Amino acid sequence: MAREKQRLWLTFSEELCQRPIIWELGRSFELIFNIRSAQVTQETGIVAIELEGEREVLKQAIQWLEKEGVTVEPVELSTIEG
Amino acid sequence: MQLEFFSHLRCRECGRLYPKEAIHVCEWDFGPLEAVYDYEAIRRHISRDRIESRPPTMWRYREFLPLEGEPSVGTQVGFTPLVRADRLAKALGVREVYVKNDTVNYPTLSFKDRVVAVSLSRAREMGFPVVACASTGNLANSVAANAASVGLESYVLIPADLEASKVLGSLVYGSRVIGIRGPYDKVNRLCSEIAGKYRWAFVNVNLRPYYAEGSKTMGFEIVEQLGWRLPAHTVIPMASGSLLTKIAKSYREMIDTELVEKRPFAIHGAQASGCNPITDAFRKDTELVRPVSKPQTIAKSLAIGTPADGYYAIQTIRKSGGAAEDASDPEIVEGIRLLAETTGIFAETAGGVTVACARKLIDSGKIPKDESLVLCITGHGLKTAEVLSGVLDSPRVIDPSLREFDRLVSSDINRAPLPTRSEG
Repeated sequence: MAREKQRLWLTFSEELCQRPIIWELGRSFELIFNIRSAQVTQETGIVAIELEGEREVLKQAIQWLEKEGVTVEPVELSTIEG
Repeated sequence: MQLEFFSHLRCRECGRLYPKEAIHVCEWDFGPLEAVYDYEAIRRHISRDRIESRPPTMWRYREFLPLEGEPSVGTQVGFTPLVRADRLAKALGVREVYVKNDTVNYPTLSFKDRVVAVSLSRAREMGFPVVACASTGNLANSVAANAASVGLESYVLIPADLEASKVLGSLVYGSRVIGIRGPYDKVNRLCSEIAGKYRWAFVNVNLRPYYAEGSKTMGFEIVEQLGWRLPAHTVIPMASGSLLTKIAKSYREMIDTELVEKRPFAIHGAQASGCNPITDAFRKDTELVRPVSKPQTIAKSLAIGTPADGYYAIQTIRKSGGAAEDASDPEIVEGIRLLAETTGIFAETAGGVTVACARKLIDSGKIPKDESLVLCITGHGLKTAEVLSGVLDSPRVIDPSLREFDRLVSSDINRAPLPTRSEG
């Protein structure tokens, strides 16, 4: 199986800020995660994270994060422009 | 003669230096990379006279752009008019308004020609065989046209459901246009994967540090065209927020290299209400930008829900003493009409956003009535003409009869009488 790394920005809404989402991610998926920077306020949280694992597992993990309400963006933010 | 003043790329977050390669984020903290220059060398090398002696294009500020040699793409881009707009000033209730008119930028009628000229010139220096972008409009047109002008192969990625009229403006140049099915975020993710996998120059991804610097030329031109003077207030439309931060950077660079006298300048940001993540964060007094997952506005060229430079745009606005505003769809249309009727300039929806937000900033006292104001108008109205359908009056139709025409003219009682030939 192909392993790969993905660099992502995760944005958490107010409701998710107190939930240990990254811990849950680590428990649920066979991935190496590496947090590079993070800013959290009472209203929102933004985390720069690198995830490494099998491509299929990465895909499932991102789908799970999105299902839980986390906004997931590649570090190449706003690739599509006007 | 020293040609190269551009030395490194630097992380805006941690300050780490990187070589001048096709990279755009810091390996440590994913912070964006930015071009670094030797300003002391530029100060010694450049002067107002020297700049004024050069051809009227964006390249007269060549020392401030991230190239190693001479530009090879878009050599005619820029130096668009700065129009003193007294009738617009009167309508807005201020003393002095100027319109920086990039609706007539060459060759594709938007400010994107500036950023594309720099990124494609840099792509050629670095030996990339193919240039690419993902875009819904102006950027795609500009990459396709500028690539065609020098025979570079180009790929333009678009959402598959984009209107045919917008796709034509890229197809006509012979670009390889690829429609991608699915929502924006999925298209975005695929584009980032393509950019990682293929050795192509993605103008706003791996070449972003070079691309973004092209926006500064709009600011340099404003200062020179004002007679080497900084405007007290500048209103700038925000999508990713990059244009706003770069115009502020251009003003600072001109101060640092002693091309212009230092004085306060306020930078104001304008967004559409249907996609206002930066304005929203500004109002909430935070620097953390919350994404807008489903932008809903007629100003499609500004509809970026996760603005890459939003954080820096807010910092720039705050530090300069500016403010951020947003405008609803009807206000945007009204802004387009006001600009057209008072200046003869037909702007796309982003221009309507800028005018509408400027009006609000003036009405709320954030822009004083007696200080100089520049509005940055970034694209031509024919690109988004559909937003005016059903808004403007239809032409009145008459038979080919002079009597009917006389009757029609005399019924225009609400308008000032037009002079007849004998009076003129």
